[in-house]
Amino acid sequence: MGATFDHLKALVVEDNAHMRVLLRSLLAALGLKDVREAANGSEAFALMRDMNPDLILTDLTMRPVDGIAFTREVRLSDQSPNPFVPVIMITGHTERHRVVSARDAGVTEFLAKPITAQALYLRIAEIVERPRPFVRCDAYFGPDRRRRVDPNFLGPWRRYDDEFAREDAR
Amino acid sequence: MKKPPAAMKIMPGDYPVIGAGAAERLLKVLKDPATNEKGTKIVASKAQEFRSATLEHVARLEASWTGHDLDAVFAHAHEIRGLAGNAGLIAAGRIASGLCTYVEEIALARAKPKRSIIALHVEAIARAARASDEATRLGDDVARELLTAARQHLAEVKDA
Repeated sequence: MGATFDHLKALVVEDNAHMRVLLRSLLAALGLKDVREAANGSEAFALMRDMNPDLILTDLTMRPVDGIAFTREVRLSDQSPNPFVPVIMITGHTERHRVVSARDAGVTEFLAKPITAQALYLRIAEIVERPRPFVRCDAYFGPDRRRRVDPNFLGPWRRYDDEFAREDAR
Repeated sequence: MKKPPAAMKIMPGDYPVIGAGAAERLLKVLKDPATNEKGTKIVASKAQEFRSATLEHVARLEASWTGHDLDAVFAHAHEIRGLAGNAGLIAAGRIASGLCTYVEEIALARAKPKRSIIALHVEAIARAARASDEATRLGDDVARELLTAARQHLAEVKDA
């Protein structure tokens, strides 16, 4: 019998019922027992306050509240039970401006449609194995958007620890 | 160095993360080839269901276009874009994605979409989704040609 994770909870936010079932099945195959579903960001936030998930998979385009607005609420709302929860955004959109908007809302990882088991499991493994620092500033709260140290980065130096990073880069 | 605004980094552990024991067990499962194989079988087992759902949306897309309901055309094209890949209907998904982008960008430019461009997309989506050999060069070529037509019109609109 495979491993089970009775205490890990996941929330799937997707307006398409077929896709919800597929994602739930893929999470169940990992041994996650508590997987809840919502059809849009509004339903999801209400459910999230009730269940406090350890992982969220969300679609981008939904009505009335889309995945970007939902993620922003998760990160910034006083009502959010866990602003640090990992959020994987699943989308068929490949336009750069959408990806940037989602990233700036505080998405942790992206997963492009069509869904494959390998791609989903890789994203979850990345989250578990290398949890990212969070950054809080006036204009942003969410996972660190700088994924790697760029030795050629010349600024702008906006963070309190940037001076140390600049020293390290020398 | 100019004084930076208040910004801080919060490290994992300073905020709640999955406990070390559960994380280790979960990683073991995630990296087990058997898990990947099981997941891949799940995805494959749903392909027919996704194909049926895609074809339902194709029929609704055509009806919406006949009824001149552009919002509904966009909504069904969006659904097709999301579902088609997991149905193995790659070209249909690509063309639907192109149609969604065109409708969105035209709306952003506050211009009127060209009926001929939408009609060509709708027809191509339907043909690509219903053809048994849609994953051929023909599908890709059609998608590319339609993308070019849509981009040309968008460029005309933005230049005007």
